[in-house]
Amino acid sequence: MRQVMTILWDSYRLLAAKKLFWIVLFLTVLIAMMYASVGFTAQGVSVLFGAYELKNDLIVEGSMFAEYLYMMIFTDYLVPWWLGLFALVLALISVCPIFPDFLKTGSIDVAISKPMSRLSLFLVKYLGSLLFVAIQVLVFCVIVFIAHGVRLNAWNLEIFWAVLLLTFVFSLIYCVSVLTAVLTRSSLFSLLVALLVWGVTLSIQWSESIMYKATYVMPASGLSINMKTGETKEAGEELDTSSEMEKFYGIVRAIGMPLPKTRDATYLLRKKVTVRGKNMTMSSAFLEDEASASELLEAKAMEDYDNRHSVAYIVGSSLAFEVFILGIACFIFVRKDF
Amino acid sequence: MSDIVIDIADVRKKYRGGVEALRGVSLQVPQGGIFGLLGPNGAGKSTLVKILTSIVRPTRCAGIMLGAAIGDKATLARVGYLPEHARFPEYLKGGEVIRYVAGLTGISSADARQKAGQLLEMVGMQDWGNHKMGTYSKGMKQRIGLAQALVNDPEIVFLDEPTDGVDPKGRLEMRNLLQRMRDDGRTVFINSHLLGELEMICDSVAIMDKGEIVQQGTIAELTEKSRRYELKTRGTIPEELKHKLIAAGAEIGGEVISVVGSDPEPIQPMLDALRAEKVTIVELREIRQSLEELFMESVGAGGVGGTQKRSTPPQLPGKELVK
Repeated sequence: MRQVMTILWDSYRLLAAKKLFWIVLFLTVLIAMMYASVGFTAQGVSVLFGAYELKNDLIVEGSMFAEYLYMMIFTDYLVPWWLGLFALVLALISVCPIFPDFLKTGSIDVAISKPMSRLSLFLVKYLGSLLFVAIQVLVFCVIVFIAHGVRLNAWNLEIFWAVLLLTFVFSLIYCVSVLTAVLTRSSLFSLLVALLVWGVTLSIQWSESIMYKATYVMPASGLSINMKTGETKEAGEELDTSSEMEKFYGIVRAIGMPLPKTRDATYLLRKKVTVRGKNMTMSSAFLEDEASASELLEAKAMEDYDNRHSVAYIVGSSLAFEVFILGIACFIFVRKDF
Repeated sequence: MSDIVIDIADVRKKYRGGVEALRGVSLQVPQGGIFGLLGPNGAGKSTLVKILTSIVRPTRCAGIMLGAAIGDKATLARVGYLPEHARFPEYLKGGEVIRYVAGLTGISSADARQKAGQLLEMVGMQDWGNHKMGTYSKGMKQRIGLAQALVNDPEIVFLDEPTDGVDPKGRLEMRNLLQRMRDDGRTVFINSHLLGELEMICDSVAIMDKGEIVQQGTIAELTEKSRRYELKTRGTIPEELKHKLIAAGAEIGGEVISVVGSDPEPIQPMLDALRAEKVTIVELREIRQSLEELFMESVGAGGVGGTQKRSTPPQLPGKELVK
């Protein structure tokens, strides 16, 4: 246990010594504070701690819509775009050199000549590297948690699911970087390969998402699109799905199946956090009472879209990818002559 | 005879690609002394140390270290190691590096803190323990490297080229530290190509070449066959006496009479005879081969990376008996 704590503490020291860590943390806190500056009054929404007020009849203090909007900004914008994309890229840039530096001759020798198994050393070092993201997201979530509690009197611990999910998402990319580092000992190469794999998986996930919307969500919402002219028509009722589109979607989904679901895993947060007992994928539950039939139809279709992949599929297939990649890296590390 | 702390036989290492770094190394290292492993670049010295410290997996290895099989992880808690070209995290301070290595060895935080203070003082870095490694000179880094190798009170300390990049003053201090380690009862195993330094401190050595041990023993044992006495005279030695001296085993070349062997007794009647003939004795010296000569003889001039055999013989270390 002492050895494990030593490596984790060293990982923290390493991160703390990196300027990028503090820059990202500063930006994270700044964004979280801007989020926390949003509040709700009897007249509508206040921003920058009451400096400006936007009048709105629906989104007012104490309303379900205010709570939904506040949480949606967190789950649909801040988490996927700042924490789940930009901050993650910065984290990857910062963390990528950890393994190549560790594996350099003269450095690795000291660590592996100690009475600790190579397997433990490798895994703890890997987990230690994930601290970068875990700390950043934790700080962000603490501010968001306090903001929700103070603004809405909703002390929602489910917000902290973001820490687990985003650290998991980061680990899915970082494991590729580690494997490349074990093979090449090059920081630059491990960063480029990780970014490349991430880019490929994101493209496939976005393609799958767009294909699903075109194949299932649009017909279910009563919308049809002319592929030649791009003209959209609203039928007002549920339409049949195209078998051709279904076939094409099936191919895209099959291609993406063995790859890590970074985007889907990030959006799992929408299933994990709730507002008044309903999770963020239950779109129809957050509609106004006066919502039209077509709005209801669209909300239902979006619910299906949000729930098209089970948690087991997203986590299971991603975890299988990570275990496979990390398993190879670990196998090489354990058997390698340094 | 002292106990043996390392006893290995037929250690082989063939790297992927076919390079055979070790070709059946057998070695015994006695407890509580300074053991030097010499060899030209590429002889396999570092590979051998890395096998003993589990950094490199041997192709074949039979033997024990501190009573356990080579590769036993638990045994490494009793071993210290300073690698060649050691790199320590630049973001850590000197004292933190020692505590970090202590932690990897499983030493409690409180003990590590106490030990770090003692070791910093021992290596003369007590005023620099709170400075980051990035600000240290090469010599200072080596001192911290030595300190971290001792943090677990090891029974064996492996030092791979410990004086590499260290200035002459630092080398002298390093030698004193090594002698202190020996006095503390530790076994110090040094890999080095600085033969002069090893000769000053090593109790026993092994010479390695092309993945094999070519010579092994104490320096006295290895240089025994080359030991001789040299008498330098002035004036003419009568022919009759010359014949007598040659018959007694002496070799005469000009004004120098050589007697091969380590026993000074056969010299005594020769001295008497020379004095009786009124031959002036200028000098009597005990001569033995230097470690460098022994090394060159063992590996051959071509075996030493970048080193060439000198055209003039080096100054032999000698013990003057009469002058």
